[in-house]
Amino acid sequence: MIRVKAIKTIFSWDWELDYRRSSGWFVSVLFCAIVTFLASILTNRPSPNTWLALIWMNLIFSSIQIAGRTFFQEDGKYFYIDQLVNSTELLIGKSITTSLSTLFISILSFGLFYLWIGLPNSEENLTSLIPLTLSIGLGSIAMSCTLCFTSAISSKVNGNAGLMSILSIPLLLPTLLVSLRASKLALIGESIKEIYPLWFGEIALCALSLALGAILFPYLWRS
Amino acid sequence: MKAWKYTGIILVAYSLYAGLMLDVPRLVILNETIRNLYFHVPMWFTMIVLLLNSVILSIRFLQSGQDGLKVNLIFDLKAKNFAEVAMMFSLLGLFTGMVWAKATWGTFWTADPKLNGTAVTLLIYTAYFILRNSIEDIEKKARISSIYNVFAFVLMIVFIGILPRMTESLHPGNGGNPGFSNYDLDSGMRMIFYPAIIGWILVGFWISSLRNRIEILKNKK
Repeated sequence: MIRVKAIKTIFSWDWELDYRRSSGWFVSVLFCAIVTFLASILTNRPSPNTWLALIWMNLIFSSIQIAGRTFFQEDGKYFYIDQLVNSTELLIGKSITTSLSTLFISILSFGLFYLWIGLPNSEENLTSLIPLTLSIGLGSIAMSCTLCFTSAISSKVNGNAGLMSILSIPLLLPTLLVSLRASKLALIGESIKEIYPLWFGEIALCALSLALGAILFPYLWRS
Repeated sequence: MKAWKYTGIILVAYSLYAGLMLDVPRLVILNETIRNLYFHVPMWFTMIVLLLNSVILSIRFLQSGQDGLKVNLIFDLKAKNFAEVAMMFSLLGLFTGMVWAKATWGTFWTADPKLNGTAVTLLIYTAYFILRNSIEDIEKKARISSIYNVFAFVLMIVFIGILPRMTESLHPGNGGNPGFSNYDLDSGMRMIFYPAIIGWILVGFWISSLRNRIEILKNKK
C-alpha cells in the first residue's frame, strides 16, 4: 500500500533539510562546476564523441555524489521514520528527491558545458538543444533511480564512496548506453522520430529499477 | 554418486573426444577453430544457468526470514558458491573466446558488445563478493548481498539484452553476421554441441554442490 501523502512528507522533509543545511547541495553544485571547468581546461574544441563522453562522465560522478548522501543523513532517525512511513513510500520519496536534485545538477552541468566548452557542432545547435536537454535530463533521472537503491545498500554497510561506485557503476551501464545513444542522435540533429524510442527506453529503465527497488527495499530496511 | 553426475562426466568426455577428433565443416577463416564452439559456447550457457540458480537461492533466502521464522543462512551460502563457480565458467569462456578471437579476428580483445557484457558481468559479481567481504555480521551480510544479487542480476540481463542492439559487432549472431545456427551448424555439429552444453551445466552444478558441502562442513566445526 502506497500513500501519496506519506511520499509527500518524506519528499518535503528531505527537500527542506537539504536546503536548510545548504552544505549538501552546494557541495554537489560546486563539484559539478569544478569537474566541468576541469574538462573545459583539459580539452580544446572536442569532437562530438569526446564531448558526450565528458558530459556523461561528469554526470555519472555528480549523480553518484548526490545519491551517496541520500541515505547517510538518516543516522539516528530510523525509528522515527519507521513510524511515519512504510519502506516502499520511503524509497519512492527518496528517489523523487534524488531524481530532482540530479535533474537540476544535470541541467546545470549542461549549461556550464554550453558556456565553457560550447557545443561541438556550432552551426545547427539551436534545433538540437531541446532534444539534447531532454535526453540528458531523462538519462540522469533514470540513473538516479538505480543510484538511490545502491546508496541505500552502501549506507547499510557504512561503505565509503569507493564501495558506492563499484556497486553502482556496472549497474548504471544499461541506462548509460541508452542515454548516450539518445544524446548522440540529438547532438547530430536527428529528427525526433529517431530519438523518441530511446526516451521511452530511458523511462522504462527508470521504472524497472524503481520497481525492483520497491520489491527489495523492505528486506533491506527491516533491520 | 547420483546418475546426473555420471551423465555429466559422460557428456563432457564425449564432447571433448568428439569435439577434437570428429570431422567438422571446412569454412573460410574459421577453419579448424570452429571446434571451439563445443568449448566456448557451453561456458556461457553454464554461467547463465548457475547465476540464475544463485539468484533463485537468494530469493529463497530472503523469503525464509518472513513470518517471524528464522532465516536460513544455507541458502545464502549456496547462492555465493553458485556465483563463484559461475564466475569461474565466465573466465573460462572469456579465455576460450579470446583465443578464438585472436585466431579469427586477429586480436585478443575488441570493443565488442559480447565482450563488454562479459566484462560487466565480472565487474558486477566482483562487486558482489567485495560487498560480502565488507560486512562482519553473518546475517546482515547474507541479507544485503542477497538483495544486491537480485537487483544486479536483473539489470545485468537487461544490459546483455540491450547492448547488442545499440552497437555493431563482429560476433556471430549480431549486426548482420549470421549466427552459427543458421547454416553452419550442420546436424553433425549439433549432435556434439547440445550434449556439451548439458554436460557442462551438470558439471557446473556438481562443482557448486561440492563447494556447498565443504563450506557447510566448515561452518559446522
